[in-house]
Amino acid sequence: MVNPALLLAVPLALAFLIPLVRLVARGVVKWIPVFAMAFNFIASVLIIPRALEEAIVTEIGGFPAPFCINLVAGPLGSILSSFIALIGLLVAIYSFDYLREVPTAKYYTMYLLLLTGATGIVLTGDIFNLFVFFEILCISSYSLVAYQGNKAGIEASVKYLVQGSIGSSLLLLGIGLIYGQYGTLNMGDLAGKIEGISSPSAFVPLVLMITGLGVEAAIFPLNAWLPDAHSSAPSSISAVLSGVAIGVGLYSIARILFTVFGGTALLETLAVIGLLTLLVGELSALSQDDVKRLLAYSSIGQMGLIAFGLGLATGEGVTGGLFQLLSHGLSKALLFLSVGYMIYRSGSKKISDLQGSWKRTPVASLGFAVGAFSLVGLPPFIGFPGKFLIVRSALLKGELFYTVLVAFVLFATVVEGGYFFRVVQIIFFKGTGGRRLKREVAPVSGLIPLVVLMLLILIVGVYPGLITGLIDSAAAELTARSSYFTLVMGST
Amino acid sequence: MLEAILVVAFGGALVSYFLGRWTSRIRDYFALGVWIAILGMTSYLHQIEPKISTFYPGFLGYDLSLRITSLSWLFAVTVAAVSVLVIIYSFRYIKGHEKRNLFYFLLLLVNGGMMGITLSGDLLSFYIFWEIASWSTFLLISFNRGKALPAGLRYVVMSVIGSAAMLVATLSLYSSYGTLALSDLSTHLATAGGGYVIFIFLLFFVSFGVKNAIVPFHTWLPPAHSEAPAPFSAVLSGLLVKMGTYGLILIFYLIAGMKIFLGLGTGIWSFHYIISALAGVTIVVPSFIAVLQDDAKKTLAWSTVGQAGYIVLGVSFGTGLALAAGIFHFLNHAMFKSLLFMSIGTVERKTSTRDLNELGGLVKRTPVLFVVTLVGAAGLIGIPLTNGFFSKWMLYKTLILEGNPFLAFAALVGTWGTVLYSYRLIHNVFFGQLPEKYRDVTRTSFSTYLPMVILSIAIVFFGVFPGFLLGEINVVTTSLGFTPLDVQLWGISSDSGTVNTLNILAALAVVGVMVWYLFRSSAETTEVSQEDSYTAGAPVPQGRFTYTADFYRPLEKIIRPYLKDRIEDFYGMLVGFVGVLSDTVRRIYTGYVGTYVAYILALLAAVLLVQLGWKPW
Repeated sequence: MVNPALLLAVPLALAFLIPLVRLVARGVVKWIPVFAMAFNFIASVLIIPRALEEAIVTEIGGFPAPFCINLVAGPLGSILSSFIALIGLLVAIYSFDYLREVPTAKYYTMYLLLLTGATGIVLTGDIFNLFVFFEILCISSYSLVAYQGNKAGIEASVKYLVQGSIGSSLLLLGIGLIYGQYGTLNMGDLAGKIEGISSPSAFVPLVLMITGLGVEAAIFPLNAWLPDAHSSAPSSISAVLSGVAIGVGLYSIARILFTVFGGTALLETLAVIGLLTLLVGELSALSQDDVKRLLAYSSIGQMGLIAFGLGLATGEGVTGGLFQLLSHGLSKALLFLSVGYMIYRSGSKKISDLQGSWKRTPVASLGFAVGAFSLVGLPPFIGFPGKFLIVRSALLKGELFYTVLVAFVLFATVVEGGYFFRVVQIIFFKGTGGRRLKREVAPVSGLIPLVVLMLLILIVGVYPGLITGLIDSAAAELTARSSYFTLVMGST
Repeated sequence: MLEAILVVAFGGALVSYFLGRWTSRIRDYFALGVWIAILGMTSYLHQIEPKISTFYPGFLGYDLSLRITSLSWLFAVTVAAVSVLVIIYSFRYIKGHEKRNLFYFLLLLVNGGMMGITLSGDLLSFYIFWEIASWSTFLLISFNRGKALPAGLRYVVMSVIGSAAMLVATLSLYSSYGTLALSDLSTHLATAGGGYVIFIFLLFFVSFGVKNAIVPFHTWLPPAHSEAPAPFSAVLSGLLVKMGTYGLILIFYLIAGMKIFLGLGTGIWSFHYIISALAGVTIVVPSFIAVLQDDAKKTLAWSTVGQAGYIVLGVSFGTGLALAAGIFHFLNHAMFKSLLFMSIGTVERKTSTRDLNELGGLVKRTPVLFVVTLVGAAGLIGIPLTNGFFSKWMLYKTLILEGNPFLAFAALVGTWGTVLYSYRLIHNVFFGQLPEKYRDVTRTSFSTYLPMVILSIAIVFFGVFPGFLLGEINVVTTSLGFTPLDVQLWGISSDSGTVNTLNILAALAVVGVMVWYLFRSSAETTEVSQEDSYTAGAPVPQGRFTYTADFYRPLEKIIRPYLKDRIEDFYGMLVGFVGVLSDTVRRIYTGYVGTYVAYILALLAAVLLVQLGWKPW
């Protein structure tokens, strides 16, 4: 049996080992993240069956709750940590050949820290600990965004830093207020103590925390840093930022809102804000001519869709939201990795310069098409069950209000289709603009992640039953407050 | 068996892609073999007891199932048969194109998707196969680059809108009745309120109307059909558009049932009459727009819109004879329109143009092509002893019998347009002066002719023996609750009128003998060159001396002002509006970090203020 604490300890330790290893054996460095993430992936997958029976609560330091820092590896935590490790592993393999000219040791250290932060966020059962992991995630993201050292990267990174710091401060303020009133930072303990959110003493910290987390989760209007950051970062990092980091942000909002505060009254607002985010993201993406910005705006839209699903607050809506979280992670990682190759070969991020990519980089082009079709929600790809579940649960509510919202969601889907199909056409059918393009053999390390992601998208798209069972119990964990309290605090 | 068909169809698509990377010849024959096998399997299911089999239990809580009925069999077997012919035609056509493997993969995927649509036993499977067919269609339309790209984009955006409508309707039915199986839904909808039924009908009508290109959802079709590769244009016009027809029949007659469908509203304000009127508009206007096209494939594309109008008119009019006519016309249209797209595609491949003003005089160079095109055009017009005659006859008959002179007149006027553009097509491509540059046009290969010859034989055969198809159609309409028609091998008889091909044949034979005798008794004939017939024996001038531009100039002057496509302008306006909206929304992200910080603080302040003021949470 693997102790969940190892999921954090191993990558964290290895991250700081990298500079040392670099002194001894330069060639080993790039294998370290692969090893760490492979370990994390296997370990978290092994945890899942037990977590499904009963969540594993690890109390660090041996103090009983609520005094300890604890990790809660329930169904949701273990699924998300496997997911983070999977994306992390694939992107680490992709980075082998993607990063040739730049100093790699720092990159890998930061990269592992980022993933440690993300894993910590989904596993922790303590709101201050949440803040700490959040800072690890954010600070490593700031530096990775600026990694290429060009003007755009640094500018984006500074903007991200400013907004991220404000978000973190708000989060910390909220946590401080909570601690001052309830004298505890343990999520389970808080779940038992907080009754309702209507009193200002609960509402103000809740709003502070959600606004703070919302910056990272790319909720409108807190997401202005995202298009710059995601488009200026190296494509491998964009894949992790879009596929994992913002999803984790949204997870923490859900955790705070559902489990800690039980703020069901806010859910309709969450649904509406989600819808706004969706519309703003998709509409902004429509008029982009930089392919990475397009993908970044599309991420905003998808986060909105997920928030909409979570805000429906029915069991199935939450399931749909979480399913879409995973589906968006896989699809967007695939898109960014594919685009990374195409940009690398064509030397330009402009959509119009991607023409003829089908000839130059056939696998990456196929990857883009699969990822795009999946995000639009076409069967038999993974995006279809996700969107389907969300739309179904909204319609099952049977209220006119939600039916109208669904109409807007579907309008956003049409817009999304509009820009994704256009790019697919340019990649596959635009011709080569008269140039003779050589097909270059892509390195195997670049193809593995693309092929694995494509297969996952297709297989889970055809058999969503493979993961809907898990996600159902994860959704149940998220919404059942009292059982979370009993789980952490014991049945007193 | 039903599962096997789909496994073969989708597996075959994948295998043929990888075979093609190895050797193209085997890929071609493999693809053909796959679809011959599917055709065999489908024909084997003829008049089998209707049965349902679950092929995927528990997809997101539904059991996906397949189902065969006489209706779905008829559509499935048409899909399979046309697919076989189109694959044979593609052998030669696609040679020399880039991305041949992708073409075959997508073509087989679309065809497989259509098999899935026809064989679906529940609305969710229907939706899934529908979407698979839609996105692969999008890729195939975009295949030819250039102008094909905007055409493909326009198709796919409208198609996504249609699918969204279908998804809402499907899920709404599920949330009301807890089932999506076609057989269960038919019992439930009988008890639903009129308003709800209209809501469901409208959503499905948007979805199927887009695919079937009913006015006002037709704007995607002309560019898409004319820019797609010719074999795929044949599939698009012959089959894919008709999936909308299948869906309409499914919703109107199978799920809702005749009683509900015909019982919504009264008189001209009844639901089915309004759709019939739309279908009437769809017949008349596009048929005349087709007359004015200079692009041969665009003519055919607009003609498809018009012919789809006949089919929808048959489906929505609501009598047994009309439904039979609609289904019959669908089958006929699948034959002659695939044939015409193939033949025009061949002309385009030989001459690398499809501009009707450029072409001419090909009759001597490609006589077989001329004959098959002529047969196809005859079917399209509905000349007696071709299949199109019967379906149109039935439609006129029922429209007049039920006292709908306006719709009957619309159908008739549409046929005038059909005659005009069909004649122009034949004339401008095959008759007149042969331009110098096409003097070396050669005959094409056997595999190109074979499907066209088969189709033209079918057109004549079913024109002479309509009973073969009418018998099958009769089973379908009877199963949907209509009184059976009195069908014979030679024709159809009813109290109000009988048509019998034997009589027509006899008349034709008599006239034929008379004409032959007249020619025999007149003076000796002499062979002259093709040009000679234009100069009546005088010396042939150099250069071009027959012109075909502005073919129907007086007519054009009269009708052009009425044919302005305001619907397309309206959609253009909508797209422009979304573009402006997008540009406006994008400006939220000013690029100045101070604004962004203000957004964060503003949201925080707003939420707190609202809570302090109104306490909504």
